[in-house]
Amino acid sequence: MRSSSYSVLPARALRTAVVLALAAGAVTVAPAARAASADPAPIAAKPYMGWSSWSMQSSKYPGLNPDGDYSYLTEANVTKQTDALAAKLKKFGYEYVNIDAGWWRDTTWKPEYDRYGRQQADPKRFPSGMKAVADRIHAKGLKAGIYLPAGLEKEAYNDGRTPIWNADGCTTADIVYGDLRTTNGWDSSYKLDFSRPCTQKYIDSQAQLIAGWGYDFLKLDGVGPGSGKSGDQYDNVADVAAWHRAIATSGRPIHLEVSWSLDIGHAADWKKYSNGWRIDTDVECYCNTLVSWENSVDDRWDDAPGWTRHAGPGGWNDLDSLDVGNGAMDGLTKAERQSYATLWAIAKSPLYTGDDLTRLDSYGLSLLTNKEVIALNQGGTPPARPITPSDPQQVWAAKNPDGSYTVALFNLADSPAAVSASWASLGFTGKAAVRDLWNHENLGSFKDKVTEALPAHGSRLFTVTPHGTALAFTGYEAEASGNTLGGNASVADCSACSGGKKVGNLYLGGKLTVNDVVVPKAGTYQVKIAYVSGDARSAAVSVNGGGATHHKFPSTGDWSTVETVSVPLTLKAGSNTITFDSGNGYAPDIDRIDVPKSS
Amino acid sequence: MNTPLPRRDVLALATATGAALATLPAFTASAAPQRPTTAETAQGADPRHELWWQAPADDNSLIEQGLPVGNGRLGALASNDPGHELLLLTDATMWTGGLNDTLDADGQFPYGRDDFGSLTLLARLAVDLPDHDLGAVSGYRRALDLERGVVTTSYVRSGVTYRRQIFASRPDDVIVLHFTQSGGGRYTGTVTLAGTHGEDPDVSFGAAFPNGLKYGAAVTARSTAGRVTVDGDHISFSGCKDLTVVVGGGTNYAPDAARNYRDPSLDPRKLARAKVRDAVAHSADTLLRTHVADYRAESGAFGLTLGASTPEQRSLDTWERIRARARDGEPDPELEAAYVHFGRYLMISGSRGSLPMGLQGLWLDGNDPAWMGDYHTDINIQMNYWMADRVGLSGCFEAFTDYCVAQLPSWTDLTRRLFDDPRNRYRNSTGKNAGWTVAISTNPYGGGGWWWHPAGNAWLCNTLWEHYEYTLSRSHLEKIYPLLKGACEFWEARLLTTTLPGTTREVLIADSDWSPEQGPLDAKGITYAQELVHALFGNYLVAAAALKRDGGFAQTVAGLRKRLYLPQVSPTTGWLEEWMSPDNLGETTHRHLSPLVGLFPGDRIRPDGSTPADIVAGATALLTARGMNSFGWANAWRSLCWARLKHADNAYRLIVNNLRPSTGGGNGTAFNLFDIYELGPGDGIFQIDANFGTPAAVTEMLLYSRPGHLELLPALPDAWAASGSLTGAPARGGFVVDLRWTDGRPTEVRIRSVGGRSTTVAYRGASRTVIVEPGASMILKGKDFVR
Repeated sequence: MRSSSYSVLPARALRTAVVLALAAGAVTVAPAARAASADPAPIAAKPYMGWSSWSMQSSKYPGLNPDGDYSYLTEANVTKQTDALAAKLKKFGYEYVNIDAGWWRDTTWKPEYDRYGRQQADPKRFPSGMKAVADRIHAKGLKAGIYLPAGLEKEAYNDGRTPIWNADGCTTADIVYGDLRTTNGWDSSYKLDFSRPCTQKYIDSQAQLIAGWGYDFLKLDGVGPGSGKSGDQYDNVADVAAWHRAIATSGRPIHLEVSWSLDIGHAADWKKYSNGWRIDTDVECYCNTLVSWENSVDDRWDDAPGWTRHAGPGGWNDLDSLDVGNGAMDGLTKAERQSYATLWAIAKSPLYTGDDLTRLDSYGLSLLTNKEVIALNQGGTPPARPITPSDPQQVWAAKNPDGSYTVALFNLADSPAAVSASWASLGFTGKAAVRDLWNHENLGSFKDKVTEALPAHGSRLFTVTPHGTALAFTGYEAEASGNTLGGNASVADCSACSGGKKVGNLYLGGKLTVNDVVVPKAGTYQVKIAYVSGDARSAAVSVNGGGATHHKFPSTGDWSTVETVSVPLTLKAGSNTITFDSGNGYAPDIDRIDVPKSS
Repeated sequence: MNTPLPRRDVLALATATGAALATLPAFTASAAPQRPTTAETAQGADPRHELWWQAPADDNSLIEQGLPVGNGRLGALASNDPGHELLLLTDATMWTGGLNDTLDADGQFPYGRDDFGSLTLLARLAVDLPDHDLGAVSGYRRALDLERGVVTTSYVRSGVTYRRQIFASRPDDVIVLHFTQSGGGRYTGTVTLAGTHGEDPDVSFGAAFPNGLKYGAAVTARSTAGRVTVDGDHISFSGCKDLTVVVGGGTNYAPDAARNYRDPSLDPRKLARAKVRDAVAHSADTLLRTHVADYRAESGAFGLTLGASTPEQRSLDTWERIRARARDGEPDPELEAAYVHFGRYLMISGSRGSLPMGLQGLWLDGNDPAWMGDYHTDINIQMNYWMADRVGLSGCFEAFTDYCVAQLPSWTDLTRRLFDDPRNRYRNSTGKNAGWTVAISTNPYGGGGWWWHPAGNAWLCNTLWEHYEYTLSRSHLEKIYPLLKGACEFWEARLLTTTLPGTTREVLIADSDWSPEQGPLDAKGITYAQELVHALFGNYLVAAAALKRDGGFAQTVAGLRKRLYLPQVSPTTGWLEEWMSPDNLGETTHRHLSPLVGLFPGDRIRPDGSTPADIVAGATALLTARGMNSFGWANAWRSLCWARLKHADNAYRLIVNNLRPSTGGGNGTAFNLFDIYELGPGDGIFQIDANFGTPAAVTEMLLYSRPGHLELLPALPDAWAASGSLTGAPARGGFVVDLRWTDGRPTEVRIRSVGGRSTTVAYRGASRTVIVEPGASMILKGKDFVR
């Protein structure tokens, strides 16, 4: 969820929270260690799969939230979705039922806390309490997820008088900063001061509470740097670390997912302390459907590449809910739904849908239950990233341990277009077998490339098994002395780059021309470009002073990581020049280019 | 086999409806088509005459991505989407509006979709194949065969190759969609026909506009193996090994002012049902063969090659190739020739037996085409038909001739009643009013739109006249003679006598007018009018002499012509003057080349020494000032003018400009090769004129002709110099030319007479005189042009 759910609601009188605190403490005194052996698999060994409540909560789709915004979240609805998940999707690997924001708030967003300032089930939404819900989920053989915002919620502060559970002498006054500085993506909490000994106790008390209820998953939301915030006040790395410790001592394995739009500069922290991180803003549109293509499914193609290398067992790049199960409710075309599912699958994002599982249409069910696609997402292959610059027609690929390639074609344009994956851009030449994962078909053997017509916002997902030979390349370092630099362009050190150097400062007229690129034969060559770019940047690439093609190079995540993409360039026999021109904008730093020895 | 008719009651329909209107081009009952006796070979299409793509069109972008088909009257844009074939159908006569004879307060014509009217869509046809979603098929390809006039789509679904052909047949007067497969596949889906003016889906419908025009359409389908049924408002089919869908329709428009341009006896819905029923009784193969034979007969023996492209270029699909041409800057001679062949395809598809093509021909994507999709008489309709004779499609010109002839009574009536309205700033100050003229826009109901366009009559006539010069057809001359004579009468009444300043010389000048479409609204003696009327009078004199008519009036016209003022070069700008003023009163780079009508399409201004050098220099300077970077038709016109000035590089550059890919609505060539004009930022509209003007420029660079004179390769660019040929190309003066060249020089030229008897044939200053009897031909070799 994001800011709207908090900022629209007035703060209520804090004293009511204390009065309403229920005797939940009695439940939590029994540590939840008993559940520890329930699942021997390590947490997040694979991207998790399941369902989340937020997409339907956040939508204005008719009938979903009859009692006001976000009111979909009720015990009855969670039960209904749990049953549907168990009946329809469990056998395909979906297992988490995740309760998102609002479980401790009524329909006017008034919160419930226990006498220790911990979130407590809103009795209207969850009359049986949160433990009963988790028990119900577990009874179906599924796992239960719950949600909390970062920091001490302002409404739980109670003038600093609320005691902290199991922490003698500690009150809410002892866990925040004296100036009551706020934090998280909505500024809805006071920032926790982890230099104070009471503070970890508060997190421990929350962890004990949800572990005691039997939850297997926690989404910690509004976490910064990220969630639209930066700076010390919004740096919640310590919160996440505290949660990591609290979970470790809670006696129950709990998957910790942090949200939203996490700062990639802190990727190491998220990897160290959590099992997954939302890389982007909410996928939901907060409109009459669950999502819409432009707001904001399509952002992910730009935002995922920088994170690719951070995904792996233990922690995954979370692209947010996968709302492809019901076309009318999702607000997407069939093509868009397939592309959405394709990107999530190849990026190794968790696969949790926010759809109404009781109303999946047949196409939606086929997308969510495609065994080959799920196997790709859950299997041991690495996540894919763009291998052609991120123009409207893109190819994403990953080389798999068995020598095959995962190849996805995307057409992000608003009209149908042909998209080609060239084998040369994968590094081999000759023939390859192509398997269509969505359609469960072997398409046959393709020479040099595969081209398919894709609908607007459409995609294809293939496994490509090479039968050809590895392509040989001739490398040209950007920093080579024979090249021509224009404008501000200059050679810079780069430890990750080949030769230890790159050409940077390609902005506002900065230009690099790689001279004397020799090929034996005229033709179109898939030229590999190794580059560094902390954000997505464009360059105009031209050959021999001819017309330029503009390419947007996906982010490499930071300014010290090298990635490679391929661009088709038409070269003449003999010596050529290849120019990267920043024009009126900012271009990536160039490490080197590799030109195939045959076209 | 199950081949139901569109509705159960269809069998009860009369087999023939409507009285045949012998010479009137319209949607009418007609005699059974002639069927070819030879088998049609589907194989072996020349790749140089095939355009192909690797993606279908988006439903919402059909104007830029849909492939056009048409039988000269009934046209469609097709999406070629495997799972959802969408056709937007247009009939050339599907016009709202009417005579529009109540002038606005300024004495000009109203110009709205209700009063003046607009070309609109006839129907939408969808063939849905739920299992053939684009995301689930592979190996998608669609192609437009320019030699046969057939659109073919193919793809593989689960190992089965599916193929569909779409063509618009003139003999059967329907559009056919033929679905086949190999590999054991079956078709299951629906066919849905719906109107676009509020009609609900139905297998046939009929309705009428407020202006009384009735229209209707019908669809039917059959399969040789499978189930086809009418299912409420649509056709359902399942388990079909193949499927033939036939759709047709039209209006009760009649090109006859005396009958208010309607045939009240014609019921379009009934006729449409009869036509689709008659057609579907034949096999799809028979329908295809009939269409291809008819298409080939119209296409004739014209040939054009501009040299060889590289294997790399040949390997690209058409859209990649358009983009590569612009990106790499390398000439792609086969693509450039294909653009000409595509223009021919559009002409054959859009201009036969009905109304001529306006701003968009038969291809719309909505009922609100820019400028009503009308006939613009101040460049656009003329440019549409400049190409026809030059590329051997003289037959397609007839729609334009028939239109003018059919409109003449109304144009004459409107001119008589309304032109001297005191509110009309362009009225004749002589107090006289005679003959006819038009507005800048015209519709098919005799009506004008927007402003009066006094010199429009002359330009229409001069265009009709050039067709006579190409064909020397006496019947054509007789048809257009009343138009020429009426236009001369108009100018006899309109011309003013003035004394040139500083001289005693009395000249005749045109009354107050607007040089299209810029500068002062009340300039007398604008170059545009002076040149067009000068040519009109000259043409009329030849016509009257040839027909031996109106000798006395011809003498009057000859006298007027001698006294006509002709423009001079401005001492201030050095340009040929656009107004009778040394000053530049308009935009330097304005899109119109109105003051250069004497350079092209006229030939009063010739760079061969027969025109005073200062006039040629002034025209060249003006053309230079107009610039090289405009859009579609404006580039094409510039190219034609540079070709006349024998400036190959400029003429070629302007053609290349039009070949630039249009993306985001920008000027240039769309995915489907339609020319796009950027109306505003990001707002591109289709204007067909450049699709014809650009090919006309290509031919004009290779062959210049005027009666009695041919010039070979006057503006051959380096890009096409290595080798090439232009064959079956009509030339003014009554000849057809086959020209071949190598290394920039003609190697052989064959001159066949279709009525001409003598002409000079020139190449770079060397000249031969050829005398040849009609029907005979003569061959000249390259050595004949060595000086």
